[in-house]
Amino acid sequence: MKRALPFLIIGTVLVIAVVAALYLKRSASAPVAPPAPARESPAASNGTTKSNENAAADMGANPPHTHGPADAPVTLEEFGDFECPPCGLLHPILQTMEKEFSGRIRIVFREFPLVPTHVHALAAARSAEAAGLQGKFWEMHDLLYENQKTWHDAFDARPIFEDYATRIGLNMEQFRRDSSGEIVAQRIFLDGKRGHAMGVNGTPTVFMNGRELPFESLAVDKLRALIQAQLNAK
Amino acid sequence: MSNPPDTSQPIQTRRRTLPYAFAALVSLVGLADAIYLTIEHLSGRSVRCTIVSGCSEVLSSEYATVRGIPLAMVGAAAYFTVFSLAVLAAYSYKWAAKLLMVVVGLMFITTIWLLYLQASVIRHFCQFCLLSALVTFVLTVLIVISLRKR
Repeated sequence: MKRALPFLIIGTVLVIAVVAALYLKRSASAPVAPPAPARESPAASNGTTKSNENAAADMGANPPHTHGPADAPVTLEEFGDFECPPCGLLHPILQTMEKEFSGRIRIVFREFPLVPTHVHALAAARSAEAAGLQGKFWEMHDLLYENQKTWHDAFDARPIFEDYATRIGLNMEQFRRDSSGEIVAQRIFLDGKRGHAMGVNGTPTVFMNGRELPFESLAVDKLRALIQAQLNAK
Repeated sequence: MSNPPDTSQPIQTRRRTLPYAFAALVSLVGLADAIYLTIEHLSGRSVRCTIVSGCSEVLSSEYATVRGIPLAMVGAAAYFTVFSLAVLAAYSYKWAAKLLMVVVGLMFITTIWLLYLQASVIRHFCQFCLLSALVTFVLTVLIVISLRKR
């Protein structure tokens, strides 16, 4: 028995490790329940949860950056960081959703730069907001995500952002002034405040009609199914 | 599977086996950490960016997999091997003690390389990877102590 004891210990730990791994795997890939129907956009929500009450108090930057009709039955509100790789991966997924559910979906983008984890995130957010003041937020948004790898590795990303601003036809003097200006800083602050009120602690975080979607559900197929379920419930 | 436990000098044996018993316990921390990281990697959850960690950058980097296998899974296998060998070494299996030294040595070298990658190439640190590095360092110290007690 004594000679078998170490092998018994090893076997027991192996079984526990396998069971723990299977349990974690199952909980990580548990199917995502479709969000409850009914609520309109988060900003106009009458939500009952604490996070939604807080979010109502913290409206975020106003007006928000939106794509799609204001009365769309489904609103996806993304808290994003332009330097975050998964946000860059989510970008084309959201574009696909917009195309597939055209007219029935509204996308809202909220700034949530993760400083100091991402050294250029704040400058990128400032550039996008400065472009927004000239009516070109989404153009800059798309360029930042599509070229994320290029500027992420740069020592100083600002000349690259200025190049993007030139490409989308911005008034460069105003862009430079706005990038470091108070309006832009305030918008980023307000979006961040809203994010904190809604319990956001990472990016990308997406809310569908005010309810947070699990990160695992942000793949094309899962997101499509969730949006469809929400539309069917309307 | 030879070399049955030597019980002729119980106190000395206990002193010799103590570092291995500690190594077995410490390796369980590494095993739990590696299993968690493997599941996070496979589910894609830890690829999310967060305020406090650089796990997303580390786990989404090209260094997070070896021929398609998550590095964390390799780590889990390594920690389980260390646990098994440490338990056997604690029961005076000499071949296990020798093999344990080799495995921990390899893990130590790998850990140094991974820390270099995080610091200089990826330029982000993942706290779960750092915990794994700490476990490997502690294991290395325990193995060195066990060598001195021989």
